[in-house]
Amino acid sequence: MHAIEVNGLEKRFGEILALDHVSFTVETGEVFGYLGPNGAGKTTTIRILTGITAPTGGSATIFGWDIVRDTTQARRKMGIVYETSNVYDDITAWQNMMFAGELYHVGRIDREERGKELLEIFGLWDRRASRVKGFSKGMKRRLTLAMGLIHDPTLLFLDEPTSGLDVQSNLIIREVLQSLTERGVTVFLTTHNIEEANQTCDRVAIINRGKIAAIDSPERLKKTIQSVQSVEVAFEGGGARALSELAGLPMVSEARKVGDKVRFYTEDPGGLLREIVSYADSHQDRVVSATTLGPTLEDVFIRLTGVQRPKSREEEQ
Amino acid sequence: MNAGFDRKQLAAEAVAAWAIAKKDMIIYYLKPNIVIAGLLFPLFMFLAFAAGKNVPLGALIPGLISVTILFSSSSIEPVSIPIERRTKTFERLLSAPVSLHAIVVGESLSGFLYSLGIALVPLTVGIVAFGDTISSPIMLMGGMLLSALCFSTMGTLFAAYPTESPGDIMSMLNLVRLPLIFVSGTFIPLDAMPPIGTAIAYFSPLTYGNDLIQSAYGHPASFNPLADVAMLVIFFVIFQLIANRLYAHFND
Repeated sequence: MHAIEVNGLEKRFGEILALDHVSFTVETGEVFGYLGPNGAGKTTTIRILTGITAPTGGSATIFGWDIVRDTTQARRKMGIVYETSNVYDDITAWQNMMFAGELYHVGRIDREERGKELLEIFGLWDRRASRVKGFSKGMKRRLTLAMGLIHDPTLLFLDEPTSGLDVQSNLIIREVLQSLTERGVTVFLTTHNIEEANQTCDRVAIINRGKIAAIDSPERLKKTIQSVQSVEVAFEGGGARALSELAGLPMVSEARKVGDKVRFYTEDPGGLLREIVSYADSHQDRVVSATTLGPTLEDVFIRLTGVQRPKSREEEQ
Repeated sequence: MNAGFDRKQLAAEAVAAWAIAKKDMIIYYLKPNIVIAGLLFPLFMFLAFAAGKNVPLGALIPGLISVTILFSSSSIEPVSIPIERRTKTFERLLSAPVSLHAIVVGESLSGFLYSLGIALVPLTVGIVAFGDTISSPIMLMGGMLLSALCFSTMGTLFAAYPTESPGDIMSMLNLVRLPLIFVSGTFIPLDAMPPIGTAIAYFSPLTYGNDLIQSAYGHPASFNPLADVAMLVIFFVIFQLIANRLYAHFND
């Protein structure tokens, strides 16, 4: 049985078609990434899969339970961690945990045992009696995730779990996610952090303008755009002049500053390397390092969605 | 779906509804805008009506109890739900394995209990300070419980309006609550009102709750107590059904 099965899902808001016959399946125990630019339909999909919004067409099941007809049964299987840390600021971390347990019908003894275990795992046990109002953003995020796990769900919806977090919280959350996947929990992850999806997900779906643009493993997706390769070069002189001069070569499709290096996108990395060496010789500049790179998941995302690549700090300046 | 499952699910829904009510009690009971709307406002209304009236203060206590229940029971959800929309904690309730009915009941329950607690203040003051006697405690209890149930559900109904500002809902709610005081026989008896006022009074749940409470104090009643009970139950069911429909509609 699939953990999630989505068939021809459609959602209209008046004239606007937010989801256009979206279909995919997520296998039990899989970490499934759901990527897309803002307004692509990610949130609408999650709201439908968690039973908050009804679809205007198609169907979706969670472990065989229809999300419209059997909403309550389907929800019992899932934990939901939204992008916003939706915890109650005016009560303690412990009260938050107990409230989440009661909402998910966890008995008192189990609730207390699991609440203690989770607060310890997330490094919040010592602060259990403190009001959440005084917690940092990372602590609130950890508490949100702990609340989402209080009923031991077999499917976890995670919306931007590590966005904008401190290093400690980030590490704790990543470790917990790893242990969950090792225990066979299915994870449905939406994230803007493409590298996170690349490292974490077994498969990734890219949604754009309400339609699924591609679904596959990150490695296979990257192979589909093998033509997008790049050469990253560090010049002794900083590379600003090299960037402007070499960007005009016919074989260079795009050039940008990445930290102290310059990255040139090309279909012919060998030919470009010869041009770079020739440029360095003629301009008395020295190539400190040069690396050829294959396509990244970000390249796939940009190719499929048509969004602009984010500018580096240097380019913005 | 078998009966065993139904009972189990019903118990789970009751536990969740109670959890929602407890959470609201802890977080919102002492919020300043709730204390003002639920406790101080009815008190000032009472003083305004009492001043210059040539009737013993004790005789106005049943009306004060009715108005206190109206304001206090319907003041929690219009504050808590918009705040929870803003902090996205309301989504936590909407995505939990409970029905909308359980959420509406849970939210209303906190207002219900709050108003009963607050209404004990004028009740006790009436008995201790003015020597009020209650000729039918059962009718008093019925009037208070049903009024609280009705008006707390009304508060939850108004809070369905999809806003993140409590002020938006309070403004709409006061447009209904304030006129109700004048047309429901709380401080002005129904038979002293013009015919149009009496006609409007039939459509006010406060009329029936107040009538039952007045009867409990041995004051003249306008309706049979059973008719009061039936009307309050009907209003409660209507509010509950409309609230469910509105939450389902606005969440989509």
